[in-house]
Amino acid sequence: MTRKIERSVQELYRDDPERADALAFGRRGALKGAALAAMGGAVGAAIPFAGTMPGGTLPALFSRPAAAQGTGPEILRMEGKGPLILQGERPLNAETPETLLDEPVTSARNMFIRNNGGLPDVPADPRGWKLTVDGEVNTKLELTVAELESRFPVITRQLQLECGGNGRSFYAPQTRGNQWGNGAISNGEWTGVRLRDVLQAAGLKPSAVATGHYGADPHLSGEPGRPAIARGMRIAKAMEEDTLLAFRLNGEAIPHLHGAPLRLVTPGWPGSLSQKWLNRIWVRDKPHDGPGMGGTSYRVPVRPIVPGSSNNGADFADLESMPVRSILSSHAHGSRLAAGTRALDLRGAAWAGDLTVQAVHASVDFGATWTEMQVAAPANAHAWQRWTGRVSLPADGYYEVWYRATDSQGRMQPHLPANWNPQGYGGNAISRAAILVG
Amino acid sequence: MRLRLTALAWLAILVPTLALGQGASQADEALALQQRAEEETVLTEGEGRSEVFGYCTACHNTALIRRSRFTRPQWDGLMDWMTERHGMNPLEGEFRDTIVDYLARHYGPAQAPARGRNPFLN
Repeated sequence: MTRKIERSVQELYRDDPERADALAFGRRGALKGAALAAMGGAVGAAIPFAGTMPGGTLPALFSRPAAAQGTGPEILRMEGKGPLILQGERPLNAETPETLLDEPVTSARNMFIRNNGGLPDVPADPRGWKLTVDGEVNTKLELTVAELESRFPVITRQLQLECGGNGRSFYAPQTRGNQWGNGAISNGEWTGVRLRDVLQAAGLKPSAVATGHYGADPHLSGEPGRPAIARGMRIAKAMEEDTLLAFRLNGEAIPHLHGAPLRLVTPGWPGSLSQKWLNRIWVRDKPHDGPGMGGTSYRVPVRPIVPGSSNNGADFADLESMPVRSILSSHAHGSRLAAGTRALDLRGAAWAGDLTVQAVHASVDFGATWTEMQVAAPANAHAWQRWTGRVSLPADGYYEVWYRATDSQGRMQPHLPANWNPQGYGGNAISRAAILVG
Repeated sequence: MRLRLTALAWLAILVPTLALGQGASQADEALALQQRAEEETVLTEGEGRSEVFGYCTACHNTALIRRSRFTRPQWDGLMDWMTERHGMNPLEGEFRDTIVDYLARHYGPAQAPARGRNPFLN
């Protein structure tokens, strides 16, 4: 009997979520009686806060994408890398489970992997790797990594590096691209020189308004000379003090997978602006138009569009500063805790592109009440912020930890990913981790 | 790239590998993973599977297909997008229909979105 109900609730939600909600929650919107028993049966435990569980919020464990769950998806096994979630082999992409992001400074081991093309060959002489700076500059520069390090001030910063599509899997209908949960984020300690100093050495002409970035990674088609991706940014971001030409990560040579011997780190903006295997900065007299620019690529609607509709992106705007987001690193989605557990000590990180995070809140009663967490100051501008806090549990049973950050301008993570777009950028909905006590 | 990453490329990669130690061995593993052979049967059985497998995996592996749940118009539009943005040879006529029909039939939104197993059951 119980089995039958479990199956039917799941099937109902799968086939017709609206009807399932109507049946489970009824017209008055309260989960009770047989429907509550069925829902409890389906999640395998009592739901202590069922009374405040709003219609439309099926338990997190049914709504989380499989890739974010740790069960089902293929796990990366690679020398020097942690057990990341393999998104695909060609191109090679892998996501970091939130619980591996428990380190204040992300190790190279736990850094997510994002490629648009293939991996280039490992250079025989990394110090001799050349960067060309040309275009709207007074003097074209050709500098080796060794020259960059000796000619310009070398600085070290903790910097967020986040894929522009982080959170994409939460969009419905599904959007194109890697189905990231929230784990396409890292906060490594990068060492390099400021792009600004190098651009000033080349001398920007008054016509310089944007950059265009090129790297050595081959296009997937194998077509010679075709860039895998070549994006660019407004000159103002290029001139920011935290935008680096990086050659070390966490005090060591950057791993080849992560762009050695030279990469851009453009913190707070889509990771595609942090070009790996960097060999050319082309200073432009107009917005850059390389592959990965224009259309629907790394762009979001200015006026909301109908979810699932087709759109050529002509009216979209480039996604620049990434939206506020948080992760929970102390408890994995699907954690089972000992009976009698009455409090959870939560930990995680939060960040907000060019902004900072002013608050993080957690809820274990489906958002009816929220507990404020303690949020640490960032190590420096553009570093993520760690948060900790305790929530109480009144009884054994099934809970969802909802966690939500608020940026320094007061914007919170929304309940659902907003501003649907064909390639799924900018989705930063509140995340939910299912926890079972007992 | 398939050509680049055959014997010649392996030589080019392996030589510096010896000098660089662990980092390069990670790069070897990554290159090998990119080249990992797939069987056609990883895709759902159906008319057009061979054509899809052959045409699409020239550039990328099937993970991109298997994770996708799109309508026919969306799949159709993707064919043009790959041609315009990524230099794919244009797909036309019956061959295009074969490929798009297969994708829409087996990787369409009618299938439930990928959902996880309940970690607390059993």
